[in-house]
Amino acid sequence: MFTGSTRPTHRRVRDSAPLAVGDSLERRAAASSLLAGFGSSTLRAKLLVPPARAMGEGGELAAEKHVRYIVTVEKKKDSFESLVMEHIRLNGAYWGLTTLDLLHKLDAVDAGEVIQWIMSCYHPESGGFGGNVGHDPHVLYTLSAVQVLCLFDRLDVLDVDKVADYVSGLQNEDGSFSGDIWGEVDTRFSYIVICTLALLHRLHKINVQKAVDYIVSCKNLDGGFGAMPGGESHAGQIFCCVGALAITGSLHHIDRDLLGWWLCERQCKEGGLNGRPEKLADVKFRCPFLKLFMFFITLSWHHRFD
Amino acid sequence: MEQPAAAAAVAAEKEGMAQGEDLLHQFERILDHDLLIDEVGFLHPTQFQSLDCSQTGNSTSESHEYTQEYLWCRDHKLAISSEVLPKLYRAARHAYSNSATVKDAALLEPDLMSHSKALLILCPDMLTAWNSRKMVLSVSYDFTKLKDELQLCTMILSYSPKNESTWSHRRWVIKKVSEHHQDMSGLIERESLLVKEIAEKSKMNYRAWRHRCWLISYMTREQVLDELKKSARWNELHVADNCCFHYRRSLLLALLDSRCIEGENSLDYKSEVHLLWKEELRWNEMLIRRYQGRESLWIHRRFLSQWWVKFLLSGEEMECCAAGISLVDLFLSQEIYLLSDCLNVPADEFGEACIQAELAALYILWISKQVPAVKPQLEERLHSLGSLEDVLARACPERSRLWTHLIA
Repeated sequence: MFTGSTRPTHRRVRDSAPLAVGDSLERRAAASSLLAGFGSSTLRAKLLVPPARAMGEGGELAAEKHVRYIVTVEKKKDSFESLVMEHIRLNGAYWGLTTLDLLHKLDAVDAGEVIQWIMSCYHPESGGFGGNVGHDPHVLYTLSAVQVLCLFDRLDVLDVDKVADYVSGLQNEDGSFSGDIWGEVDTRFSYIVICTLALLHRLHKINVQKAVDYIVSCKNLDGGFGAMPGGESHAGQIFCCVGALAITGSLHHIDRDLLGWWLCERQCKEGGLNGRPEKLADVKFRCPFLKLFMFFITLSWHHRFD
Repeated sequence: MEQPAAAAAVAAEKEGMAQGEDLLHQFERILDHDLLIDEVGFLHPTQFQSLDCSQTGNSTSESHEYTQEYLWCRDHKLAISSEVLPKLYRAARHAYSNSATVKDAALLEPDLMSHSKALLILCPDMLTAWNSRKMVLSVSYDFTKLKDELQLCTMILSYSPKNESTWSHRRWVIKKVSEHHQDMSGLIERESLLVKEIAEKSKMNYRAWRHRCWLISYMTREQVLDELKKSARWNELHVADNCCFHYRRSLLLALLDSRCIEGENSLDYKSEVHLLWKEELRWNEMLIRRYQGRESLWIHRRFLSQWWVKFLLSGEEMECCAAGISLVDLFLSQEIYLLSDCLNVPADEFGEACIQAELAALYILWISKQVPAVKPQLEERLHSLGSLEDVLARACPERSRLWTHLIA
C-alpha cells in the first residue's frame, strides 16, 4: 500500500530560485538535489501542484477548499472509516501537512500541537515511531514522523542518533531491510530507511553498498523492480528502488532505456498511467510517475513520455 | 443548567460502552464456537435484515448457527451489521488495549488472543494487534496454534484479499513452521492453492501473487514442475492477468537456477527445461493468436524469447538444421512470420487488432535491443515488411517518441 510514507522527502531550500528545466546548469543543480533526496519546494510546486492561480477556464485549483478539507478531516475521529485508519494516522498527517505545505498553508495547523502529538507516537526504548499513540513502531511511521518534523524544521526535538539507530538496525545480512523487528522484507523499506537516514544525515550508519546490491538484485529483466528479488515490477516499487538508488548516488545501476521503456508503456491510450501491465489507469500513480519523471529529466529521458 | 445535559451525555456514553462490550462478548463467543468461519461480511442494515432469520435464539456449540440483532452466523459464514461497527470496534480496541498492557501477560494470554482476533477481523491493518499475536506465538512452538493462525488469515483474506499485514503475518507463520518441519510440501501446496482461489475473486492481486512467488523458494523441483503444469489451464482462462504469467516466469527461472546449482547448462538440449521452454513458446504463440492485443502474453513472450535466443546463440556452432539455416535464423523467421500475421489482421470494432500489431512490433524491437547480436538478422528477415522503423511507424505511431529513441 503506498501511503504518504513512501513519498520522497523534501526539505525547504529557502533561497532557491524557480528552476527552469531546460537550462543545463540548473538542471544539474536540480539533479544533485534530487540525488540527495531533497527537492526545492518551488520546483515541486511548479511540477507537481500548480500554484493556486487560474490555469485557464475552469482549471483553477480550489486551494482553499483543499485546505478546509484537510483541516476538518483531521478533526473527524468518530466515523468508522476514521476509526479503522487510526493506526496510520501518522502517515495521514504527513500527507495532509505536505499538501498544506505545497499550497503554502502550513500555518493552518498549530505546529506545536502537531509536534507534540507526533512525539507522543515515539518509542524512546527503541527509537521508532508508531502509527498513532500506543501503536508499535515501524519504519513506515518513523519516516512520516521525520518528514513532518522536517516540514516544520523541528528535527531538534528528536534524539537523532536513537532514531537513526532504530532504522539502521533493521538492515539484514543480505543488505535488505525489515519493516520492524518481525522481519518482513520489502524494497519499500529499503527506500524508507535510506530516506530517513538521508534526512537525518546519518546514512553512514548502514552498509550502503550492501543496501544498493540488494536493491539491484530486485531488478527484473524488464528493467523494473519488485518488492523482493524476482518480484513483479510495479510502479510504486520502482519508485522506491530508484529513489533509494538516487539518494545513495547509485543511479548508474539502472538500465535507463529499459526502465524508461517499461514506464512509457504504462501510459494508457487516454493518457493516464497504470502501475503494471494490463491494469487500468489510476490517478494514484501520477505522483510516483512524476517523481520518476523528475529523475528521468536528469537522465535525459523525459521527452520519451507523451 | 448545563449539568443535566453533561450528565446525560456521560450516561449515554456509558450505555454505549456497555452495549459495545456486550456485542464484543457475543462476537467473540461466535468466533470461539465456530473455528471454521471462512467468510465475513459487513452488511448494510437493510441487507442484514434480509438474511434468513428463521433460526432464532442463542447458538449451540453443535449447530454453529447464530442469529441476533446485529450478528449472524451460519455455515461458517459470519455477517455483521455495519450499524454497530463503530461500537464493536471501540469495544474490541478497548478490550485489546487493556489485555495488551497487563504486566503479567501470561495470565491474560487467552484474552489477548481473543480480543486481538476480534479487533483484526474488524481492522486487519492493525499491525500492533498482529504483533501481539506473534509475541504470544513466539513463546513456544505449537503447530496447532500456528495452523489456527493461518485459518484466521484465510478468514480475513476472504473479504480483504489485498491486505498487506495479513499476507505478511501469513509469511511469518510459514517461516516459523519451516524452522521446525522438514517436509513443507503439503503446506506449500495448500498455500499455492489458496492464492489461486483468492486470485480467482481478486484479479491481478499483487500481494497474493507476490506471496505465491515467495512460496517458490520452499518448493522442491518436482513441485515447481507440477505448479507449471497445473497453472497452465488457469492462465489460459486469465490471459489479461499479468501476475499469473509473472508467476510462471518465476517458476521457469527457479528451474533454470536449480540446473545452474547442479552445474549444468540451464537450457541444455537434453534437459527437461529445454523441452518445457520450447513448449512454453509454442503455447504462448497459440494464446497470442487466439487472444488479440493482450499485453501480458507479449510480455511473457519477450521473456521467453530473450532467454531462448541467447541460448541458441551460445550453441550456434553445434546445431544447424538440415537446410543449413541456423536455429537462430529459423526462430527469428518464425517470429517475423508471427509479426507479419499480426500486422495483417483486419481491424475490429474493439481496436484489438491495432493493439496486437503495436505489441508485435514492439516485441521485435525488444529482441533487437535485448539481443543486439541478432539485430542484423532481424533486419534481414524483416525485408519484405520494410525496415524495423517502417514497421514501428505503421504499427505504433502513438509511441513514436519511445521507439525513435530506442532505435537510434
